[in-house]
Amino acid sequence: MAGTPSKKNWLLPFTVVCVVLGGLLGIQVHSQQLRGATAIGRQTGLLVERLSRNELQLTQQREEIERLRSKLAEYEEEAASERGLARLMSEELQASRFAMGTVAVKGPGVELEIADSTMRIGGEPGASDVFVIHDYDLLQIANELWAAGAEAISLNGQRLRTGSAIACSARLIEVNNVTIASPFVFKAIGDKDKIVSALNIRDGVLDGLRVLQFPVKLTPKDEIVIPPATVAPVYEYAQPMEKEEKG
Amino acid sequence: MIVVPFVALVFGFLVVYYVLPPVPSRWADYVAIAIVAGLDAFVGAARNWLEHRFDEAIFLSGFFINMALAALLAFFGDKLGVDLYLAVVVALGIRIFNNLGRTRALLVSAKVEARRARTATASE
Repeated sequence: MAGTPSKKNWLLPFTVVCVVLGGLLGIQVHSQQLRGATAIGRQTGLLVERLSRNELQLTQQREEIERLRSKLAEYEEEAASERGLARLMSEELQASRFAMGTVAVKGPGVELEIADSTMRIGGEPGASDVFVIHDYDLLQIANELWAAGAEAISLNGQRLRTGSAIACSARLIEVNNVTIASPFVFKAIGDKDKIVSALNIRDGVLDGLRVLQFPVKLTPKDEIVIPPATVAPVYEYAQPMEKEEKG
Repeated sequence: MIVVPFVALVFGFLVVYYVLPPVPSRWADYVAIAIVAGLDAFVGAARNWLEHRFDEAIFLSGFFINMALAALLAFFGDKLGVDLYLAVVVALGIRIFNNLGRTRALLVSAKVEARRARTATASE
């Protein structure tokens, strides 16, 4: 028996071993599939759920804002129809609201569209930080627009008002706490020619972007509509000062 | 006869895959290492068979005990925070590879010898 195995000797152990090995393979394949499915699936599911919940909240809040606004408009109309002080106050309110940027405005101006560069290094899009638009590029443009006398500016539908920040958030950009991404569209109301020449100034901000093959589209327009800021600036710490306190 | 183990393999796989509930995913590493140990025993058995040293007791005990030991070692590694898992994988991997090489050499040399014997008898 020893040394020369007979058929009976190997068949049974092999069968037993094969059942066990097959079972283990089954366990492993199963759990690997589940692991892959859950690791990605769970996360995506979670994110999708969170996103849709946030979006729902957002639309609800927008509706709320709209409702309150129309109510306010009603009150104002009522006040304006009266005479004297109430009317004066209403006018004053309109003016300050206009200055605050919570009213949609229209007028002549320019539209500027920029996007991430078409130039690639290493073949991968976005492989280098040099070829994407950064928060400071947008800040510089916004600053240039203000400097050229723009009276109202929006960036991707977000009105730039007092206290609007353009900030970097991971690989995206936030303006008014709303996340935006390339392509970026500035709309500015003001003196068209002045703004165009200010932006196109030699070695200016657009010049630098064009050199690196960022697509830049600057179009003067006769009528531009700029949406209102959805939220007015909130003053938590600053308080208006009385004249007597000066000094 | 040779198909019986294959059928058993497929049977084991299907039963576990479709019938039994999935095991907790934290076991996955230990199951993986047990599979590697099982493969090692398998390849070792193939080599022993060709060397006429096959013994079912050694095979069976080697299969189950090595499997358990490998998983246990990986488990202790996890508890101690040392990657003993890797040590097991490397050791078993080398052994599997060695045994496979040896098996191949034995098979080829057996074939070569058979051919030589045939040509020798033909030329006589």
